[in-house]
Amino acid sequence: MRTVLRLLFMYFMGTPVLRALTLGGLALWAISFYILTTQAQSTGKVMLGVAGLAAVFLGSSLMPLMVGRLARSHAMVNLPYGRLKLLISAFLTVALVSLLAGILALYSFGAGVSAEVGWWSEPHLFDYVILVGKLAFTTAFIVAGWLYLALWFVTSQRNMFGFAKGLAVIAFILLVPVREAQDPVAEFSWQLLQIAIAWIVFGAGFLLWPKWQAFSARWRPGAPAAPAGASKRRLEGREVDLMLGTANPLMFIAAQAVPIIIAMRFGTHGNSVWLYFLTIFGAVAGAVAGQAAQRSRVLWLRTNWSRDELFRHVERSFWRHNGFVLGAIVLLTLAIGGYTGITPSVFAAGLPLLVLGTVLSTYLGLMVTRGLRWIEGGVGVFVMLTLMSLAIYVVEAKGSLSVVFIAETLMAMLIFVLRKAARRRWARIDWMECRAPRGFAGRGAA
Amino acid sequence: MTDAIVQASGLGKSFGRKTVLHDVSFNIGPGEVVGVLGKNGAGKTTLLELMLGFTAPSAGSVQVFGHESRTLPGPAKMRVGFVPQQDELLDQLSVADQLRVIASFYPKWDGELIDRLCAEWSIDTRARIKVMSVGERQKLSILLAFGHKPDLLILDEPVASLDPIARRQFLEQLVAISADEQRAIVFSSHIVSDIERLANRIWILKEGRLDWQEDLDSLKESIVRVHVRGAGGELPQLEIPGALAFRRQGATLTAVVRGWNAGAQAALEQSGSVRIEIEPLSLEEIFLELHR
Repeated sequence: MRTVLRLLFMYFMGTPVLRALTLGGLALWAISFYILTTQAQSTGKVMLGVAGLAAVFLGSSLMPLMVGRLARSHAMVNLPYGRLKLLISAFLTVALVSLLAGILALYSFGAGVSAEVGWWSEPHLFDYVILVGKLAFTTAFIVAGWLYLALWFVTSQRNMFGFAKGLAVIAFILLVPVREAQDPVAEFSWQLLQIAIAWIVFGAGFLLWPKWQAFSARWRPGAPAAPAGASKRRLEGREVDLMLGTANPLMFIAAQAVPIIIAMRFGTHGNSVWLYFLTIFGAVAGAVAGQAAQRSRVLWLRTNWSRDELFRHVERSFWRHNGFVLGAIVLLTLAIGGYTGITPSVFAAGLPLLVLGTVLSTYLGLMVTRGLRWIEGGVGVFVMLTLMSLAIYVVEAKGSLSVVFIAETLMAMLIFVLRKAARRRWARIDWMECRAPRGFAGRGAA
Repeated sequence: MTDAIVQASGLGKSFGRKTVLHDVSFNIGPGEVVGVLGKNGAGKTTLLELMLGFTAPSAGSVQVFGHESRTLPGPAKMRVGFVPQQDELLDQLSVADQLRVIASFYPKWDGELIDRLCAEWSIDTRARIKVMSVGERQKLSILLAFGHKPDLLILDEPVASLDPIARRQFLEQLVAISADEQRAIVFSSHIVSDIERLANRIWILKEGRLDWQEDLDSLKESIVRVHVRGAGGELPQLEIPGALAFRRQGATLTAVVRGWNAGAQAALEQSGSVRIEIEPLSLEEIFLELHR
């Protein structure tokens, strides 16, 4: 039990940033909770709690990385019940975050339906509000579990494959569990069953993984050899991209397109959500540039480029890669627009958002030459919030889009500022400050 | 030294308030094989990365082939080879592809040498890097640094993951490379016997300072174990300058002395009727004594 508690403490309080997020989030949540128990509901009061909840979730973002790392460490073989304790700590983390969501939903809903009379004193209302709280808890449990999985992919495998897998999970959770939760006939027992099945399957896999690996190693075939000529053709002219991890945008495009197409066919048909999601996808595509600095070290040593020339080559490589990805997102947007009936004015204001999302996040990524610090984190949060707000506004504004165009122009100007900052940082890049963490599966260049 | 491959003066590096290197100065000339020794955290990797221009010094400067390492021009970089402590291979490629990618950066890549070494070191060029063991990956990293026949080869703990046979093969190859008098090799390792076998100059880093930077023979002559026996069973009161450690047993005093020379021996002999025996130390013993 002590180990589990220690792990939980580390997940939420492991670094000063996580500590600030967790404590700040809890404070916001508590203020929102207090207001909702004493006053009538309003969007602002609820949003305060939601922001707190998001901060607590981000505060525990070390959990998937720590669980993954520890699970793969040699020490785990010798620690008594090590994997079981890790599994319990992961489950409790999800449960804690979901509990906060459930309580917040319960009280905000209660405050919304009974401003005058306490909902707890009306038997019918009481049952309904409790059900809403329970549903919010189970939905949060399902969504948070998937989100932690996405975080694990992105943080443990900091390369294209990790981002692609993380995106696929995000696409899935945005379009399947969330949609199901919005379903008016969502059932608490069905959601509980989903959680139970998901965690039993995950838990069994997690606990039995070492045995499965030992068992499957007997039949693991060697990698088939590629014909020399084909391999040479495949590599020629793409050496720099390979070393930067930008050689294969198709993989990234596929990871985005497949879940989007599936969701378009079977998921929600409301056009209001699409621009929002696709803007996020565009921004995430650009963010892969965040790995450029650490991957460029040996590229600098093996080429005749100065640091400034290196930046220009890296920039070009990411433009090429992200250009393909952006092109695919734009095509998907046009296809979805035709399918769901997005109006031309929304297209006119929305498509620049996709471009802005990708380009801004590319330069934000290129700015990360000394790890992710407050300044990049702050600008990143600002950019994402602005893009997401604009994406919603574009659809909701119904005709009046001048604000959007002004905001887009300002965001376009921000690109030049970020590029200049990124270029200045690369001119004095210090690879001791952007070293890849040891033990990551996805490695850089040689 | 005018034809130095690497020259550093007053080199220092700090990370925030923590100073990792203080006032380090050295020259490395052609034909020198420098073995860098130091405890964990002594600043070995930082020193090597400063020489490679990966990081900026907080004080002083380091020049490689006459250029500041941070702004090393292309032709100079083509003359540098580096084996990092942790390999930086592309997991998704095969060995042959990885070699091909790296070879493309060098106009003078010795494919024959690499093919021969792949065969000698039992590296399957068709294997995927993802499924290779740590030792195999390390061998490949070393090959990638050899292929362009660099004039300056910097290796950061290159043998840590190698088995004894691979280590021996690697050292033999390094001996062959060092035979070229135009080349310089700098390598750090915790395996002191390897450094003793290969290096003709020893650097000992202690708490961020270059505590020793002379050739191996001078080091072994300078730091010795001295046994002083009193004649007639009695040992007079003695003062041994530069003593790192003492042990007195009966009429025998044993001391490890730094800066031992003929003058020190003559002075000791004059201080009383004593018999002196000098015992040379291995590099490992010297390293341990210096860190006692």
